Amino acid sequence: MRNKLWFLTSVSLKRKIKTKWFLAANILLAIVIVAGINIDTIITTFGGEFDKKTQVYIVDKTGYSYDMIKEGLIASSKGMSENKESSFKVKKVEKTEKEVKKLVDEKDALGMIVTFSETEPIKVKIVSKDYLKTLDASMIKSVLTQVRSSLTLSKMGLTPDQMKEIYKDISIEYTYTKDDVKNGEENEHMIMSTVFPIVILPFFMLTIFLVQMIGAEVNDEKTTRGMEIIISNVSPKTHFFSKVLAGNIFVLGQGLLLFLYAGIGLCIRSFMGGENITGGFASEIGDTINQVMASSIGDKLIYIIPLTLLLMILTFVAYSLLAGVLASMTTNIEDFQQLQTPIMIISLVGYYLSILANVFGGSIFIKICAYIPFISAILAPSLLVLGQFSIVEMLISIILTLVTIFLLIHYGLRIYKVGILNYSSKDLWKKMFKALKN
Amino acid sequence: MLKVENITKYYGDFCAVKNLSFEVKPGEIFGLLGVNGAGKTTTFRMIMGLLEPSEGQITLDGQAISYDITDQIGFLTEERSLLTKLTVKEQALFYGALKGMSNNDILKRLDELLDRFEISEYKEKKLKELSKGNQQKIQFIMAILNKPKLLILDEPFSGLDPLNVELFKQEIIRMSKEGSMIIFSSHRMEHVELFCKKIAIIVKGESVLEGYLADIKKEYRKKNILIKGDITKEALLQIKGVYDVVEKSDEFEVKIDSLSVRENVFKEVCKHQNITKFSVEEPSLNEIFVAKVGEVYEK
Repeated sequence: MRNKLWFLTSVSLKRKIKTKWFLAANILLAIVIVAGINIDTIITTFGGEFDKKTQVYIVDKTGYSYDMIKEGLIASSKGMSENKESSFKVKKVEKTEKEVKKLVDEKDALGMIVTFSETEPIKVKIVSKDYLKTLDASMIKSVLTQVRSSLTLSKMGLTPDQMKEIYKDISIEYTYTKDDVKNGEENEHMIMSTVFPIVILPFFMLTIFLVQMIGAEVNDEKTTRGMEIIISNVSPKTHFFSKVLAGNIFVLGQGLLLFLYAGIGLCIRSFMGGENITGGFASEIGDTINQVMASSIGDKLIYIIPLTLLLMILTFVAYSLLAGVLASMTTNIEDFQQLQTPIMIISLVGYYLSILANVFGGSIFIKICAYIPFISAILAPSLLVLGQFSIVEMLISIILTLVTIFLLIHYGLRIYKVGILNYSSKDLWKKMFKALKN
Repeated sequence: MLKVENITKYYGDFCAVKNLSFEVKPGEIFGLLGVNGAGKTTTFRMIMGLLEPSEGQITLDGQAISYDITDQIGFLTEERSLLTKLTVKEQALFYGALKGMSNNDILKRLDELLDRFEISEYKEKKLKELSKGNQQKIQFIMAILNKPKLLILDEPFSGLDPLNVELFKQEIIRMSKEGSMIIFSSHRMEHVELFCKKIAIIVKGESVLEGYLADIKKEYRKKNILIKGDITKEALLQIKGVYDVVEKSDEFEVKIDSLSVRENVFKEVCKHQNITKFSVEEPSLNEIFVAKVGEVYEK
């Protein structure tokens, strides 16, 4: 004798997986994720001048600005990274403006004629074949402004050492009075508050997927009246739980597949040497992970990850129970789509609040929202990562979600039993309230 | 034996079924008749265990209806109850498994039934691709897949052509001979007359007539006399006790209040020429149904 709960669950799962749409959607997702991770490699493969260095020919008529401009351009294009190559190749030439124009045309380069006047220590004329790249233009402008400042200060009699002192980075020492806030964690917090909304995005997507899937399946069985045959052989309770189980197994599986596609994308990236192309996107991810793991947040992840996963799985269960109950009340898929809109909005609010949590640190409103089941799965872990939520508060969120699940099973099942065999929307709410009382 | 004892079902203040009782023995075909909204579907749902009666009880072979015994019941709903995205084979595997059958048994029985209903080529086809008539055949096959002890047929001939109606009839009779209890519901009284030895007519949830069809017809006061010959409708209508005369192609159907009126009619007919037919007939089930339902609504 087959176990009817597992039989219905497996049938429901097979119906979701053995479809062309599941295959098509997953192929598309895999392509999008893998391509997204390797987007720079793809762009480079198709060709373009991404790694072409800008050749700059400088005619220094001042006799003192070439070295400063060259140093400035190379330093600014390397940015913070010592290992990165400069995107400028700078060369000094002794040519007339006409010759520079010819050279620029021939070499597809940039010409810079530097002169001076009585009032201006440097005056620059740039010769270019085409419009300048936005980044190049901004860097050149910034370097030239800096050179002019240095020359002005030098003219005022300041020594190079004094000028160095002026341009030196300011040293700031932070002191925090709160016990659990430690020095040097600002970056980690900033990274986590940026990374976390991206990590929870699949959860948000899967929630929408789950709600729609359960609603569509229950409605399909209801509208074809197949429900009467099914319910005459299995109890509504078994039917309800089979839908919830199948939906949750499916989204968890789909979630794992998304991680798998991301893993494949990263593997392809490392094989293709993607980090060498753009100066180390993958190594930056690795650096970020290493940085996080080395910090005290790394230690916290040991409990942040399991608690977050637990809360997310419980929230999936709560959403699927709610979707099942709502679907049983509706008489067609259009009605269900209308009913599910508020659920989606609530979930979306949770997602936006999790992004805003870092901006409005310490907001009591956001903290209260983090306890509310359905949105707590997104919000509570964000606050936990940002240090605005303690483990105890996280556990309270989990308990509140568990209570919601219990209430949905206890009262929702009463509605489900009546709803799945109801084909009329007349006096719907009256019927459902009556079912609740019974 | 299926025993329905004094069942009543309330939806809030509305009484959908009131104190309904009947029995169906193995091999019997029972006709449950009623106009739309009379309470037939509610009764079927209670027999299937989908609804709990507010009062009374239903037993199958002495056991109260529960999920332990619904495996032995087959149900053909008035509306299509097929999952149209599935193929015929997938649908059979799904419903059969819900009835506790093994995959091997399901497929063996499915092949046998598809062959009997002459639609073997549709086994791998999606249900939504089939015609209305073929969908009805599949629905019937699904209802009898598990060789049910009790088979409930709600409007089984809907959407079928006369040839397919014949196929269904043969299968229903075969199942009855094999000992299945069959409850049959249809608005087509000629179909009910064809199968059912026992019937119940329900109006507004209440049984207004029940028993063996032969007894009901016999005991029914009003009769029909078929007359063929040179006589006019007006002459027949003037006879005391004749309440209606229906002119058919080459004969008259004279409706009389009671059997005693036949002698008056006979006397009148004898006064006319070329009378070739004078036959006293039982009323049709349709007439009894219309009369009984009408009586309740007139009250």
